[in-house]
Amino acid sequence: MTLTLTINGTSRTITCEPHESLRTVLRRAGCYSVRYGSDTGETGAAAVLVDGRLVSADVMLAVQAEGHRIETIEGLSVPGTLHPIQQAFIDTGAIQSGYSTPAMVLAAKALLDRNPNPTEAEVRDALSGVLDRETGYLRPVHAVLRAAAILRGEEPASVDVVHLDRLEGSGTAHHDRDGLAPLAPRVVPNSDVPATRVVGHAETKTDAVKLAKGNPAFTDDRDLSGTLIAKVLHSPHAHARIVSIDDSAARALPGVHAVIHHGNVPRVRYASGGQSYPNPLPHDQVSFDDKVRFVGDRVAAVAADTEETAQAALDLIRVTYEPLPAVFDENEAIRDGAPVIHDEPDMEGAHDAAHNIVHHIEARTADVERGFAIADRVIERTYRVHQVQQTPLEPHIAIARWDSDERLEITSSTQVPFHVRRMLAPLLGLPVKRIRIIKPRIGGGFGAKQEMLIEDIVGHLTMATGRPVRLELTREEEFVSSRSRHPQTVTFKTGVDANGKLTAQEMRVVANTGAYGTHGLTVQMVTGMRGLSSYNCPAKHFECDVAYTNIPVPGAFRGYGAPQALFVLEAHMDDVAAEIGMDPIEFRRLNWTGVGDPLDIAPQLGEGDPEAGGMPIIASSGLEEAVLQGERSIRWDRRADPGWRQPANRPHIRRGLGFAMAMHGTAIPGLDMGGASLKINDDGSFNLLVGATDLGTGSDTVLAQIAAEVVGVGVHDILVYSSDTDLTPFDTGAYASSTTYISGTAVKRAAEQVRAQIVDRAALLLGVPAESIDLHDRAAWGPDGRCVTLAEIALSTLHRQDQHQIMGTASHVSPESPPPYGAQFAEVEVDVETGQVTVTRLVMAVDCGVPINPVTASGQVEGGMTQALGYAHCEEMVYDETGRMVNPAFGPYKIYRADEMPELEAILVQTMEDSGPFGAKAIAEIPMDGVAPAVRNAIADATGVRINRIPLTPERVWRALQVP
Amino acid sequence: MQFFRPSSLREALEIRAAHPEAVPIAGGTDLMVEVNFGRRRPEAFLDISRLPELREIRREGPNVRLGSGVPYARVIRELPDQVALAQASRTVGSPQIRTRGTVGGNLGTGSPAGDALPVLAAYDARVVLRSSTATRTLAWRDFLVGPKRTALAPDELIVATEWERAVGPGSFSKVGTRNAMVIAIAGLCLQLDEAARGVRVALGSVGPTILRAPEAETFAAGILDEVGAWSDRGARVPEEAIARFGELVSAAARPIDDVRGTGAYRRHACAVLATRALTWALDDRRAAAMEAAS
Repeated sequence: MTLTLTINGTSRTITCEPHESLRTVLRRAGCYSVRYGSDTGETGAAAVLVDGRLVSADVMLAVQAEGHRIETIEGLSVPGTLHPIQQAFIDTGAIQSGYSTPAMVLAAKALLDRNPNPTEAEVRDALSGVLDRETGYLRPVHAVLRAAAILRGEEPASVDVVHLDRLEGSGTAHHDRDGLAPLAPRVVPNSDVPATRVVGHAETKTDAVKLAKGNPAFTDDRDLSGTLIAKVLHSPHAHARIVSIDDSAARALPGVHAVIHHGNVPRVRYASGGQSYPNPLPHDQVSFDDKVRFVGDRVAAVAADTEETAQAALDLIRVTYEPLPAVFDENEAIRDGAPVIHDEPDMEGAHDAAHNIVHHIEARTADVERGFAIADRVIERTYRVHQVQQTPLEPHIAIARWDSDERLEITSSTQVPFHVRRMLAPLLGLPVKRIRIIKPRIGGGFGAKQEMLIEDIVGHLTMATGRPVRLELTREEEFVSSRSRHPQTVTFKTGVDANGKLTAQEMRVVANTGAYGTHGLTVQMVTGMRGLSSYNCPAKHFECDVAYTNIPVPGAFRGYGAPQALFVLEAHMDDVAAEIGMDPIEFRRLNWTGVGDPLDIAPQLGEGDPEAGGMPIIASSGLEEAVLQGERSIRWDRRADPGWRQPANRPHIRRGLGFAMAMHGTAIPGLDMGGASLKINDDGSFNLLVGATDLGTGSDTVLAQIAAEVVGVGVHDILVYSSDTDLTPFDTGAYASSTTYISGTAVKRAAEQVRAQIVDRAALLLGVPAESIDLHDRAAWGPDGRCVTLAEIALSTLHRQDQHQIMGTASHVSPESPPPYGAQFAEVEVDVETGQVTVTRLVMAVDCGVPINPVTASGQVEGGMTQALGYAHCEEMVYDETGRMVNPAFGPYKIYRADEMPELEAILVQTMEDSGPFGAKAIAEIPMDGVAPAVRNAIADATGVRINRIPLTPERVWRALQVP
Repeated sequence: MQFFRPSSLREALEIRAAHPEAVPIAGGTDLMVEVNFGRRRPEAFLDISRLPELREIRREGPNVRLGSGVPYARVIRELPDQVALAQASRTVGSPQIRTRGTVGGNLGTGSPAGDALPVLAAYDARVVLRSSTATRTLAWRDFLVGPKRTALAPDELIVATEWERAVGPGSFSKVGTRNAMVIAIAGLCLQLDEAARGVRVALGSVGPTILRAPEAETFAAGILDEVGAWSDRGARVPEEAIARFGELVSAAARPIDDVRGTGAYRRHACAVLATRALTWALDDRRAAAMEAAS
């Protein structure tokens, strides 16, 4: 049918099907800012204004919009300009991946058009329908308040770093912190850190404008004519053999161009985890198998002219299954007699496939039995951590096509473009040189996209059809057929002497890697590493069985084994402190690691080689200061205030405070590698080409700041391009908290090469010695105060004299992985009648070395704490008895909204880490680590109830409270 | 596929009679989910979002008539004195869902987890149905006949819901994993009717359909009578009686175990919600009594 829609003031005649949503139609009309988040209206990514009111275009029939005024963000500002709301989102650091930013900006506009002076609560309500997995909502909420002020004609102060007084050694643990602007990044400075001009400053993001405006930037934001739509047929069985597949009816359907399955795709073994060469064993996957191992496993895929036809074709594929017994629990899976999940003869590299034990990991530093024997007390507890999903707002999406050189070009929302290229080649039977992977902007990943998840499907289909092929997972598929966090059962045993010193620590883990191994080995090694690195202890033992089961596949998820380990460790340390009657922080302080201490379990788990004198030693720690800052912010002394703990007017409420320390890694030592290339342009700007993949974290901006600092320009003089396997240097990708530290050092080295070339030419032009020249403010300055601009230097070297391209290329790998430290505090209210827990405040003070960009670093902490809060409190993948996930949608799978958030505070405690660029360590993952144990320990503080499972749902807490 | 877009109720009902296969769509916030998932692909849509008759709120004396096409956002703005209904409306979805979603849609879907439905049950609301030839008015319980099943005939449209406004405090509350967006573990509406000296309580999400708790209602009304609270709003009701009321409400629930909670916990949650709702209502009355006295 034909519609006339008024879009951004222009009347457009559009052809559509009667059942099509307004989102589908608007995207077809070129409004790419109206994005897919789900089919249910619950993410809000497809928000638009209809007659000035916010609606979800994915649950509005396009036909119903006729006659109404439709506004999308494309109508908000013309090229070269910004609406004040967009400007405020940029200035406050409210944009991370930017996938949902257009929706938030429109939600703000709908509010401010009616209410020019909203309260924070009104702003939170207005934003509550746009889910955000990245920012923790703090900066978006304050962006809207700031925009409101600007629109009222006020001039709010710029967002700048606030320096907090150092508390360590000052003896003043409690003084007034009121009057701090909520958005100001709080930095506790360190006198060892040299002054810098760009690094360490609250620069706005290099990619913020395009994201604030909703410009086409993501994989799906282009119109490739003739693109076929791919859909995947998933297994309805948790465990079954495929007896036969009859695809004849599907192939006969007009508009279907290919149907692929195990019968017509070569059987090539691989492991889908995006990791360095050679990919860790087991190689237990093939593109399509004759067996399925979880509900949601791949059976077949089709490419068709339209989504409807593709879906219809799936329904016509006749598959005969022989169902097999299934097992879902990791402990049951490794028992004798359990169904064997990988019985195929050609599978490579499982420890004991007949018992579903894909890996057995052992690490010990000394004899723990002796350590337990000399202990005054030995305490042992068992904990269970559950399965959660990353839920990036942009699901996995990839588009493949043959380019004009008949090379396969795949545009993909991936964190690991270079790994994908290498891993894909054997599956498709193409040499690496005939594959190009382009990574545009990514709408969040959190590890889910550290995986070669769907690129082989679009590759096979393009090779089968010769046509471009697009595959985007639905929200439901993203839950079931993507990746998630490994569940674990963990028994932790601690020996402690009469003074509270640890004598032995033992951690026994049974981990659930679902149907395939992928990250199963390395995630669990990180669990051991993180579980046994925080504290000094003379004897440590880690033992882990990684089990195959028939649940959807866990993989990489921000934290990568550490959130599991630290929930267990920090719950356990709290329990031990309570048992031996010590203050929970004092007990930890007596034992925690610091500068000069060895990471003694690390060599046992593949990090550092003690034989080669490579025992890693901690070189920087801001933990003590972080704990003091956190104690002050959360007002830790209220634990002793009965009036606060049990408010008189709310008899069913108990309040409590909880603490957890966190320690993480910075990149994988000796393995993670990043490359960078920097070149000058005529006007003294620079192109920075990096393989690093900014998935919304702000790494492009951080890398630009590093380059800008070295060559003496502003951050917006650096034009970042990332990443494209044809154009940018290699990078292992965005994972393991590596980008700032590894890729950042590569950028710094490349920039230092460029700097040397600039200085040489400046010396020539100014007639002064090169050593005397300083670069700043886009110019090279001689000792006499004369200068030559970088533009003049560029024009000179490119066009006039001894011409050459000023450029540099460098790469970096680190033998070390310096640990960032964090102090996580939580304040809770527990309704003891219902078990409902309300987390009212989260504070995290983090030592990330020198934060290159305090705004993006704070954003990582705020957003990470929020994601971690979901893990602690309300997110859980739940299955029925057949292994079918029963809650694969937002709503029943609950993530926090803007109007449900606790207060958040991030404090950045500077240390000078000499091995990092300008002193930097990692920040991206550590905020995932401490929230669950801190909330759990706060509930224990409030009620006396110690709960050893997460999430801390109302029913679980209520049941724990019923135990006498 | 056909798309009908009538501009008046009369026209809509004629189309409804001629094309019973056409699925009525107002805000579409429930139906479009089904369509997007491919679970429903109706042969035809009947767009009822442009019928002025369905978008009216009318008040005559104590009677309130809420058009089935009024979105939740307008209920919140325009019926603030219907406290429980406004509270329930605020917990629906998100701002953009409240812009489009309607009470009529909630009734049409008939889900026991629909937040507005326990309120309509506690209001003793009636559902007004029309066909091209007749108008029927059904009590809410005769309309909501089972889980996601209603008494709507193929040639009818839900045009309104109406109730007589009860004078007295009322509230809607629920327990969920978090607050709003999640489908409730248990939802409860309590409404006092000072004129009839009655207490009404309705439950959502804890049975195949919306439930009232008649024994609990009778008990509570009796206790208020016993302590003289109907005439003296300042009179105290013993804690034990309030707890007993909670137990009776809980006993009326028929919850099952599911992903959101076990039946036992949901039953417990009903008791807590009930005792709190009654306590709030009595506190409100006492506060009003003290204000009147001062």
